[in-house]
Amino acid sequence: MAEESFLADDFLRQLMSVGEVDLLVGIPTYNNAATLGQTLQSVEESLRQNFVRERAVILNVDGGSADETRQLFVQSGGRRDAGPRGLTSLRTTHRISCEYGKAPSQGLALLNIVAAADLLRAKACAVISPTTTNLTPSWVVNLLRPVYSERLDFVAPLYARSRFQGLLARDLLYPMSRAIFGQRVREIYCEEWGFSGRLASQCLEKEVWREEAVRARPEAWMAVTAIGGGLKCGQSFLGPKIAPPTGTDIVEIIRQTVGNFFWCMETNQATWLRGSNSQPVPTFGPDHELSLDGVPPSQEKIFELFRSGVSELEPILASILAQDTHAEIKAIALSDRSKFHFPAELWVKTVYEFAASYHHAVLNRYHLVQALVPLYRGQLYSFLLEHANASAEAMETQSEALCQEFERQKPYLVERWKVKR
Amino acid sequence: MQDENLWYKDAVIYQLHVRTFCDSNGDGVGDFRGLTSKLDYLQELGINAIWLLPFFPSPLRDDGYDIADYTSVHPAYGSLQDFKDFLAAAHNRRIRVITEMVVNHTSDQHPWFQEARGSRENAKRDWYVWSDTDSRYQGVRIIFLDTEMSNWAWDPVSKSYYWHRFFSHQPDLNYDNPAVREAIWEVMKFWLDIGVDGFRLDAVPYLIERDGTSCENLPETHEIIRDFRRRIDAAYAGKMLLAEANQRPADVRSYFGNGDEFHMAFHFPLMPRMFMAVKLEDRKPIIEILEQTPQIPDTCQWCIFLRNHDELTLETVTDIERDYMYDEYAVDKAMRIYLGIRRRLAPMMENDRRRVELLTGLLLSMPGTPIIYYGDEIGMGDNVYLGDRNGVRTPMQWNGGWNAGFSSADPERLYSPLISNPVYGYQAINVDSQRRSAHSLLSWTKSVIQTRNAFRVFRRGSIEFLNPSNHRVLAYVRCLGEEKVLVVNNLSSSAQAVELNLQTYKKHIPIEMFGRNLFPRIGELPYLLTLGPYQFYWFRLRRI
Repeated sequence: MAEESFLADDFLRQLMSVGEVDLLVGIPTYNNAATLGQTLQSVEESLRQNFVRERAVILNVDGGSADETRQLFVQSGGRRDAGPRGLTSLRTTHRISCEYGKAPSQGLALLNIVAAADLLRAKACAVISPTTTNLTPSWVVNLLRPVYSERLDFVAPLYARSRFQGLLARDLLYPMSRAIFGQRVREIYCEEWGFSGRLASQCLEKEVWREEAVRARPEAWMAVTAIGGGLKCGQSFLGPKIAPPTGTDIVEIIRQTVGNFFWCMETNQATWLRGSNSQPVPTFGPDHELSLDGVPPSQEKIFELFRSGVSELEPILASILAQDTHAEIKAIALSDRSKFHFPAELWVKTVYEFAASYHHAVLNRYHLVQALVPLYRGQLYSFLLEHANASAEAMETQSEALCQEFERQKPYLVERWKVKR
Repeated sequence: MQDENLWYKDAVIYQLHVRTFCDSNGDGVGDFRGLTSKLDYLQELGINAIWLLPFFPSPLRDDGYDIADYTSVHPAYGSLQDFKDFLAAAHNRRIRVITEMVVNHTSDQHPWFQEARGSRENAKRDWYVWSDTDSRYQGVRIIFLDTEMSNWAWDPVSKSYYWHRFFSHQPDLNYDNPAVREAIWEVMKFWLDIGVDGFRLDAVPYLIERDGTSCENLPETHEIIRDFRRRIDAAYAGKMLLAEANQRPADVRSYFGNGDEFHMAFHFPLMPRMFMAVKLEDRKPIIEILEQTPQIPDTCQWCIFLRNHDELTLETVTDIERDYMYDEYAVDKAMRIYLGIRRRLAPMMENDRRRVELLTGLLLSMPGTPIIYYGDEIGMGDNVYLGDRNGVRTPMQWNGGWNAGFSSADPERLYSPLISNPVYGYQAINVDSQRRSAHSLLSWTKSVIQTRNAFRVFRRGSIEFLNPSNHRVLAYVRCLGEEKVLVVNNLSSSAQAVELNLQTYKKHIPIEMFGRNLFPRIGELPYLLTLGPYQFYWFRLRRI
């Protein structure tokens, strides 16, 4: 790590007071006073109900909240755990809090959490988002238990989703991560996850915490570190997730996730270039749940944005994509909107060529990732057109087929990755 | 009340059974003459009260709690004159004597019960609780779940059921009958006239039965206690009543009344939580139970203890806590009995001297009158295979010689086998060898009792818990006028640092009470202390 300690003295003092723990629950916050109380209640209840004997600490890492978040965290502890006979939990559930900076950073938040986990020798840890408004105690135990009892090192969440939620994950992030890293972990971009103290210690030792990709989406890097390091990964079903919309547009989301994933591929290339087919991971609860609820996103503009993007970004796409891939994309962009189809084979090829170009830095990586946005819109439009009225099962079948296509074409990726153009 | 009559607040009580302590006549059973011969030892230990377990004639099916004659001494333990001699010798050494008063029930061999069962018309019939069916008082809990199926037992002689809250050979007396109250009062007077200093009233919550209730802690029971107390205060000033009510503190509180019922009561829930706190390495169990402990009248006092002749009762803890205690302290099922653990202090602490000292230090520094169970001052072991709770009632280990110096009888004749394993056996653990070492547990125990006795604040002072962020450390300040003592306990197996907010005591100088060394003066900053595993400090806070 850097020469100067990032741990504030006050935080260190709090850690000293806590001592060794079995469980650590980290709650990164930034102006979450409105929902933090409910989150804390669920976390404490979960610890009380499920881990009565374990030494536990709830750690709040705050990015400089201007509201009452930190005060709320500190003050709302206490006698709430008294049961009907007045005495239920065996141990003190410690609460400690630190402010890691004056601006929110998921990476810095996680850095403080893993540092605490390492120093306190926590066996199982979970990160919980205070923005999730329907968090229940079962979420916390479902993330901690596989780590604590089953000795897993990374536990991703599985959410119950409507058909039109999480499309980026379903059409790109999951199939690609599954193909690249060989483990069928559905959600490596998430706000709640579990990890072991061992993984925390390994992550703490890495010199990547100043990297933009880690600062923005550290959870995916942590997942990839676990997978790439041969540690045991799994996933645990949490149920539906309700959180207020972030307001982040698709460009920023793709930059944060796909760009981040490309970076993870690069930093972990030694672990996946020789990899084989994917393997299922231990899953706790249902594999996942897809409901028929949900309204498809408006399709009106999506196709136009795809078509204009392909046209406007032609020189950029030419430098990223193989000639025939580019040609095929240009061809489908000209097709009849009502009969539009973005073939899975072409989509996978496109994504892999973007990944390879990212690796070879054929142009500014920031711009490169952004250039994928209109193409993703094309893929999305094609999906919506074909699946607007499809059953959950049909959509799942399509998703699995896409995953297999990603795996089938992995050698193509490896070839392009290795050969500098 | 005159201050000298509050002697029980200043007491350090030593609990023993005369049978277990010393056998003077070589019959294998301890007796009063033997006990009298060991009073110097007890005086030297620093205790100033003895609580004697039942020594009355009894079939001994419940270790003497099944009394067959209230006003005599079991012949195996000597004569009534032997008891009187013992009492006088104890008083000569300023040691008070508390005896058992088993008021809830008698043995089924007691003449009262023999008469009562003789016929339904007998004058003593109504001294016990009879019924033609076993369906009265449905839902009342059974205390000895391991051995009893019902609170009713069938009497084949009088062909009806009698009520018993404990073993079926212990019929409950009927306190609705004024003649029973008078008879028990006569028993009390008998012993008070001889000179005993107080009674431990056994099983007091169960004196009265009423339909539709739990038959525990009923108002009529309190009225009976108040009546006894009134009579004692009127005729026997300075005598003390101690309640055995194995209930939560809030329920036990009522037994103090307005200072007009019991002088003292056991704080049952605190004891398991002290053990729990050390195993959990967390002060929470202790703090929680003491926060839930109600205030009691000024003339009253809690009695606190670590171990006694019974199982370490887990009746007043939650199921989760009980499971934890079993898993941590009674892995072997043989260590469990009823709702508790039949083990002694040292084996429960895995013979870890540091933990034994820590718990003893807690016992002697917290508010309440401490009770030390015989043998725990030398770290005696137990034998969980002896049945019932007999494994913690083995002969006192005086030396490494014949029968541990307890008796000159043939070993086969002893009332109980000695502890003889290599770790806790009498050759390894005994009074004589520990007397010779200034660093033995016995010497340490003497020293810590002496320190407690030297400072009134431990006996009468208030307590204020500090709340350091390190939950492995339990710290409190005892305060009585200008006398202040800071107690800091490390409950964990590893070294700890703790910062204490001692702003109230700014400019005081902490003086460590065992070594009498000065520590840095308390200033503006939090007071930093480091403690080794299971270490504790007692600091006298002086403003000089």
